[in-house]
Amino acid sequence: MMHLIKLELKKGKMTGFLWGSVLTYGIMIGFLLLIYMVEGSSQTDPVFVSYEEMLGLIDTLVRATFIIYASALLSRLIISEFRDKTMALLFTYPVNRKKLIFAKLSIVFSWTFVNIVLANAIMGALFLAVNTKMGYVDDTITTELLYRHGAHVVMHAIAAAGMSLLPLAVGMRKKSITSTVISSVFIVMVVCSNNMGFSLSSIIAIPLSLGVLGVLLTYLSFRNIDKVDAA
Amino acid sequence: MTEIIRTRLLSKSYGKSDVVTNVSMQVRKGEIYGFLGPNGAGKSTVMKMLLNLVKPTGGEIELFGERLMPTAVEPLKRIGQMIETPVFYEKLTAQQNLELHAEYMGYYRSGAIKEAMEMVQLRGVEGKPVKQYSLGMRQRLGIARAIMTKPELLLLDEPINGLDPEGIQEMRVLFRRLRDEYGITLLISSHLLAEVEQVADTIGVIDRGRLLQEVSMESIRRSTTNYIEITTSDPKLAAYVLEDKLKLRNFKLAGGNALRVYDASVTPEELSKGLILNDVPVESINRRHHSLEDYFLELTRGGGSHDAFNQAGA
Repeated sequence: MMHLIKLELKKGKMTGFLWGSVLTYGIMIGFLLLIYMVEGSSQTDPVFVSYEEMLGLIDTLVRATFIIYASALLSRLIISEFRDKTMALLFTYPVNRKKLIFAKLSIVFSWTFVNIVLANAIMGALFLAVNTKMGYVDDTITTELLYRHGAHVVMHAIAAAGMSLLPLAVGMRKKSITSTVISSVFIVMVVCSNNMGFSLSSIIAIPLSLGVLGVLLTYLSFRNIDKVDAA
Repeated sequence: MTEIIRTRLLSKSYGKSDVVTNVSMQVRKGEIYGFLGPNGAGKSTVMKMLLNLVKPTGGEIELFGERLMPTAVEPLKRIGQMIETPVFYEKLTAQQNLELHAEYMGYYRSGAIKEAMEMVQLRGVEGKPVKQYSLGMRQRLGIARAIMTKPELLLLDEPINGLDPEGIQEMRVLFRRLRDEYGITLLISSHLLAEVEQVADTIGVIDRGRLLQEVSMESIRRSTTNYIEITTSDPKLAAYVLEDKLKLRNFKLAGGNALRVYDASVTPEELSKGLILNDVPVESINRRHHSLEDYFLELTRGGGSHDAFNQAGA
């Protein structure tokens, strides 16, 4: 299995995705700094009143970004392989088709999970550090807060990684890259939107069950892959 | 195990349209099997079924003496293939494409890539991305990929498409070499009779999804007889003279003003002398060869004329 994953990375030229990820980090940091600097200084209606809110915003932004990012990965690794007929080529190899697909999916799943956790850690630390200098948010860091937020991030990252597979079930029907990406944006809008401090993802059961649904639907899309015509 | 491929009543239909119907073919070890048929006859579909890419709706397949199960992948290790136009990872170089192929096939002999590229006469282009390749180069690279693992069985679908005459000649030599030096069994499809005729040991003719005939080239060559054709304005008189005066039995009226004499013991000179002495007006006498083309055209005409095939054979 590790061999298959390595081969996927080799042919996908994954360095491109690595740089894309770095760039995304940069953009997110810039965006958050902008919010922090512009909004944070206004004393009348502060955007963050506590660290919990600040870290929550970072988490939401990171998740939204990497769910969409995952749809680009899915397009590259699965949808376009079907469209370019290279999938049929892969199916002429003495490798179980389910294993081939599973290798690709596990790349997307773990990529999304790792990036969400990592980005949260980096940006959370960065903004806590910035705030100790600037002091726009009047709050204290407690170990309890960090533990609670850490657990929150990991749970949501797992859920988001599962959810990130949802667009595949949509995109696979017509082997369309566009519908894959659009459905990922749609998922983000539904799950990560924030309405007066309430969002669907604040009830952990919702993102978690969506994550399970993502894995389940993906499983169903490929359940019969080795019993159907491939070309 | 003398048969590498054996199919029994193999069929495939999509909804109501039958693409392949009851094909029972046998490909023996170490031979070149020419799979001949017009475009859309079902050649590619049969090959895809041998690779498990397309699942049969009826019948069964035996590869290497074992029944091919619908989810089996093990036999694929022993098969090299190029079906329809070869597909590559366009952005990767030829070298990288072949490296990937070797990895997925589980084949790790160093030098195999270089050797395969040389066998198909692709030199100095292994570092180029495949998207810059011409049609003919792609075809060669596809063949290189198929043969680089030295498989026991090679399935090549229209392998000479897009090649120039010189390239076609080179491939012909290569196919024979693969058979003779490496003992590879080849199944080569084509819609061009002339192509198949020159390399195949056995020919299977397929038309509209049905295998019409499976014959060895040797027996075809034996059965495609020579004859002498006589054109005359009075065929009746000529027939009388041939039978009564020259004592020939083995001839027939070929329609119009032509007669065909199949008796090998008589020469055109003797014939013309005998005919003229008996006052038969002879327009021409020619030694003719009943060609393979006629043979196959007769086969496929059985079910009505088929333009694509006629053109292809012409």
